[in-house]
Amino acid sequence: MGESPSPAEDPATVARLEARVEALEAALARRSRELRTIVRHVCRRDLAIIARVQAGLAIPALASCDAELWNETTETTSADVEEALQTLWHSLVPAETTDDGDSGP
Amino acid sequence: MTAPPPADRPLTLIVLAWNCWHLTARCLDSLLRTRLDAARVLVVDNGSRDETPAELAALAARESRLQVLTLPDNVGFVRGNNAGIAVAPAGGDVVLLNNDLVFTQTDWLTRLRASAHGAPDVGVVGCRLALPDGSLLHAGTYILPDTMWGQQIGALEKDVGQYTADREVEGIVFACAYLRAEVLAAIGGLSTDFQSYFEDTDYCLRARDAGFRTRLCGGVTLVHDEHGSTQGDGADFSGLFQQSRRTFTRKWRHRLAARYRHELLWQSLINFPTGYAMSSRELLRALDEQGVKPVYRYLYGPGTVFPVSEPENSRDYRLNVIRARPLPRRPPVAVVYGQADAFHSNRGRYKVGYTMLEVDGFPPDWVRQAARMDEVWVPSAFNRDGFLRSGLKRPIHVMPLGVDTHHFHPAVTAHPNPLGEYVFLSIFEWGERKDPWLLLQTFNQAFSADEPVRLVCKIMNRDPMVRVKEEIRRLRLDPAGGRISYLFNLEFPHEQLGSLYRSADCFVAASRGEGWDMPLMEAMACGLPAIATDWGAHTEFASERIAYLLRVRGTVPAVAKCPYYAGYCWGDPDPEHLRHLLRHVYEHRDEARDRGSLAAHEMAEHWTWQQAAGRIGDRLQAIQAAG
Repeated sequence: MGESPSPAEDPATVARLEARVEALEAALARRSRELRTIVRHVCRRDLAIIARVQAGLAIPALASCDAELWNETTETTSADVEEALQTLWHSLVPAETTDDGDSGP
Repeated sequence: MTAPPPADRPLTLIVLAWNCWHLTARCLDSLLRTRLDAARVLVVDNGSRDETPAELAALAARESRLQVLTLPDNVGFVRGNNAGIAVAPAGGDVVLLNNDLVFTQTDWLTRLRASAHGAPDVGVVGCRLALPDGSLLHAGTYILPDTMWGQQIGALEKDVGQYTADREVEGIVFACAYLRAEVLAAIGGLSTDFQSYFEDTDYCLRARDAGFRTRLCGGVTLVHDEHGSTQGDGADFSGLFQQSRRTFTRKWRHRLAARYRHELLWQSLINFPTGYAMSSRELLRALDEQGVKPVYRYLYGPGTVFPVSEPENSRDYRLNVIRARPLPRRPPVAVVYGQADAFHSNRGRYKVGYTMLEVDGFPPDWVRQAARMDEVWVPSAFNRDGFLRSGLKRPIHVMPLGVDTHHFHPAVTAHPNPLGEYVFLSIFEWGERKDPWLLLQTFNQAFSADEPVRLVCKIMNRDPMVRVKEEIRRLRLDPAGGRISYLFNLEFPHEQLGSLYRSADCFVAASRGEGWDMPLMEAMACGLPAIATDWGAHTEFASERIAYLLRVRGTVPAVAKCPYYAGYCWGDPDPEHLRHLLRHVYEHRDEARDRGSLAAHEMAEHWTWQQAAGRIGDRLQAIQAAG
């Protein structure tokens, strides 16, 4: 007496799985196009922040450390040296971990 | 009786306890874990009504180093401590300790004892006290005859390692007081004129009268849960305090007032974030400590070249008192410390104008006003020569400024870059004189982005016409070049600034001219190797031996918004040499570190505010002697 095919060899299952793979490949291609678009339009530092958010890491406070992110003002802000330096040093981490450096000086 | 030599001398630690067993238990537990050598611990139970007597008895049965003296009633802080002193071995030293202290340094007693026996005339030694939250509570005390209200030095400052050197102080709080046998033999225990409060200052002053100095041992810090030992006490502390204050005032006011040798009207500014104001604060404090009684009046305000009213609160007790002192009708000597176009405001019989400028001469109006002074003070020979070149004929005295070595020294807490990058630090107001364009461009060119090095610039800009962000963008710095980070328009508390310097590896200032350069001096006092332009007043404290001097290609016209510079010149720093020095320091770190250490030593030895004030005191003495 012949054995019945296992669920993995069942033609209906195979067809369903092939269709699923095809859909996932299409989704992946679409997602890759979206990411390429994002990379073209979003600055490297924002990408680093996105990467940190997705990895569950804290977002560094960058405003006082990166000229690009300054809110130009003549007002001064009272600050604590230790906190300001922690913020500064923390802000360097994503830049140093990208492949080709940060957004420059 | 002659006390035995320190090594053979009995030492008794007297812990005064009254109720609050949980505090006493915590104190003794931490104390007995430290290195006590042959010292004995004597707990004076000041008539406790809680579990203290029973717990102490049980503890004494287990712990051979501990003895208990039980007093039937609470006799107060003074008599309680005196009871302990009375039963301590004769000819021995004692340490008075509050029961709300926590000991975290194993060798605290070794250090305190070494400080007490560091010189034959030291009689009383205290230590740094910190609050449980980590802020500093005490690094010595002072009391002014104006108010007769004792003040704790360093109170509530964030503890960044300030006041860690041993130094002489007027008084200490007796939460921890090492009393040498010699001073006990000379003046006995605490004065029973007081029940509590003011007895510690009184004791230090009496010790001084008997020829003994009071010292603050900066190498010891104890945690003090201030007033923990009196929690739940229903006593009228306010009444006790006021009663003691009246007693202390009767006893000491005239003596404290008599320590002032000179009166001086100081017309300047103190409550603004400017170089004149910051240095004015330091000079006033140091002068007051050294027996010159300054009366302060704001130099500017409506109707002057700086028509802004000064904020009233200096956030410093001594300065607030100096500011509130009544103005003498005709002050014998007045110093106007500020720009010389305000010298005409001088109200003294003898008029001194004290000023500085960052170029090689002085504007005609400054010279005209300086000519109406009896004498002119400048911080540097650089400025004296500038006045002479500009035709001033009045006597000119070089009166250098100083640096606060209590807050700026190599042992201040650092927060180093965790990535291990070598950090250059620069601090400046954005403008032509500081030449940030030169520094940023040269640094960016001197290094590449893949080198572990960074320039951190602390930039201030209060000029609405200046767009710093745009100016930096226009530099078109190379993303592949040296990396630069910015701390923009942040104001840090003065007591924390040392931490900023200590978190860097090298200080760099490529300015075109300086009237003094306080940040450079502070960085050097912190032990940083420093790169500074070889032109300007700062070259009088920054030599090639202790700093890296940046060559100038000559002098060039001082083109800037500042109207005072018009027609004069300043230095022209050599970009190639700056590039060379940046790389040299980066590649020769040991040499640079050694040079920074030499700088710190030099600043502490020769350039303190106490020395600056001492020179002013000497000059006032000479003025007075000349009639």
